[in-house]
Amino acid sequence: MEYTKQEFMAIVTGREIKDGQLIILGVGLSMLAGYFAQLNHAPNLMPFTEGGVYGSTPVGGLPWGIECNRISANATSFTNAIDALGFLVASGRCDNAVIGAAQVDQYGNVNTTGIWEDPPWRLGKYVPPRVRLNGSGGANDIAVGAKSYLIMASHEKRRFIEKVDYISSPGYLNGGDARQRCGFVGGGPSAIISTLGILRPDPVTKQFYLDAYFSFSSVEEIQDSTGWDLKVSPDVKVVPEPTEQELINIRTVDSTGSLRKKG
Amino acid sequence: MRNKLMSIQDAVAKYTWDGMTYCHGAAFPVGSDSIAFGKEMVKQGRKDLNVICHCGSSQVNLLAAVGAVRRVEVGFSGLEVYGFANGLNRAVTSGQTIIEDYSNGAMAFRFFGGAMNWPFVPATVNICNDQQWCSGDDPGVYPATGKIPTITDPFTGQTLGAFRSLRPEVAAIHVTMADIYGNAIMLGSEWSRFEMSRAAQKVVLVADKIVDTGCMRQYPNLVRIIAEVVDAVVWWPLCSWPQASCGLYDSDEEHMFYMNKAMKTAEGTEDYCRKWVEPYTTPSEYLDLIGPEKIAKLTATETAFLMDPYRKWIKSDVEVAELLDQAKG
Repeated sequence: MEYTKQEFMAIVTGREIKDGQLIILGVGLSMLAGYFAQLNHAPNLMPFTEGGVYGSTPVGGLPWGIECNRISANATSFTNAIDALGFLVASGRCDNAVIGAAQVDQYGNVNTTGIWEDPPWRLGKYVPPRVRLNGSGGANDIAVGAKSYLIMASHEKRRFIEKVDYISSPGYLNGGDARQRCGFVGGGPSAIISTLGILRPDPVTKQFYLDAYFSFSSVEEIQDSTGWDLKVSPDVKVVPEPTEQELINIRTVDSTGSLRKKG
Repeated sequence: MRNKLMSIQDAVAKYTWDGMTYCHGAAFPVGSDSIAFGKEMVKQGRKDLNVICHCGSSQVNLLAAVGAVRRVEVGFSGLEVYGFANGLNRAVTSGQTIIEDYSNGAMAFRFFGGAMNWPFVPATVNICNDQQWCSGDDPGVYPATGKIPTITDPFTGQTLGAFRSLRPEVAAIHVTMADIYGNAIMLGSEWSRFEMSRAAQKVVLVADKIVDTGCMRQYPNLVRIIAEVVDAVVWWPLCSWPQASCGLYDSDEEHMFYMNKAMKTAEGTEDYCRKWVEPYTTPSEYLDLIGPEKIAKLTATETAFLMDPYRKWIKSDVEVAELLDQAKG
């Protein structure tokens, strides 16, 4: 079966999600990967949204938002932000999450706030961005509090950069034990799943290295598409192809075909 | 208990003014928000607003697009799958509107702090990153030290941040149903409306449905906003349109894209206001403008069954009009 890069990225992200996990999902790819995992191999997954929508699965297509009626039509509980992002996430209770990134750096710091000609950290002052994005939403709370989380991003040199313009959601900051020094209760990002492969953090330096690549990509292509000196695992692997069942399941979840439109 | 029903025109005239700190809720980007109230603020020409909204929504997108917003504090400024908020982003990148970024969790924690009348809330999130180091209010300093100042946990010695608590002057909060006294039930996620209703100095509810207080007596656990903290109640059907209201209507996909595209330019915004903000005065004129065909489509929501337990208490349009007259009397 043929598939798109976006579908493969969602499947690979879903494979990182384990049965029984308490997981917070955002809109778009995050929900698709999470509900794919639930359908494919994690029937006891416990997904919820930032708004405290629990126990539901989408109806009628990909939800337009975390509070969309498509995700609210079969919930077992509606609570609120302080419960979902506070009591379950910032507290350190949540097992896993999937967040997106406009830019991600060598330590897994994510920018979803804006793009600057000259970023504030270089300029030494805060000027309006050239392009305003959305801000962190709940991703900052997730990045600080979740036991681990996954980052999904399109693998392009302008996105995979040495240092992001703005840290909206902290990964490992400047590496090493920087997270612990900030008192973060969560463990940090466990992987960056891109459109080309899987990057994981070095256990000591926390710099992300290439762990596996997709069959239609290569180590060279990924290094060329990465803005830092990307180290490669000595036993770098090819990510197993999607199975027919995985493709059937991702398309069941992505009933409106949003991942197939993106090539 | 006092009948607090008020027309949307009177509520905006009484509870909003130029230069105020205005809060709207739930401020979801796709779902619940007091959008009709924001449109009336546009009609009455409010300007120089300091807006506190948990997330961006079509309301702050419109208010910023017409140039009414001086400053905004927000956790997420976009419209989720409907895209970046073009009106707000245009105001921010042009320098017209200052934006203070927090996370979605932080906004809820700060409302909680305001509700408790605490001066600050300990911050374990939004620290050690640019939400702490970049301040729209103090742009000349990087890293900023006054936005989320560093404090020390007196028990462990751990370094934390301090969030400024939020006490907005007025909050206009959308609810699914309210009685005439200001008791309200919200279907779907509350987001931060519970804390917001206790943090704001004045609270105006904007309800899709007005119900008899018998409804509240049947489901008192679900009445999360109480009459005791509410100053005025406005009835406005399809209040959140073009966004959704859980149990009542879905988001209007076509209009969400159309409206946000219009917000991209000053001319588009002006044209939008002429067609979709200015023409109506009453709820029935507003519903006519949206059109019966569109309303039938939006109200055929998969969540409609959630309203079943409450239907017998819903006041008819005629009854609401009578109650409104009584409130004036």
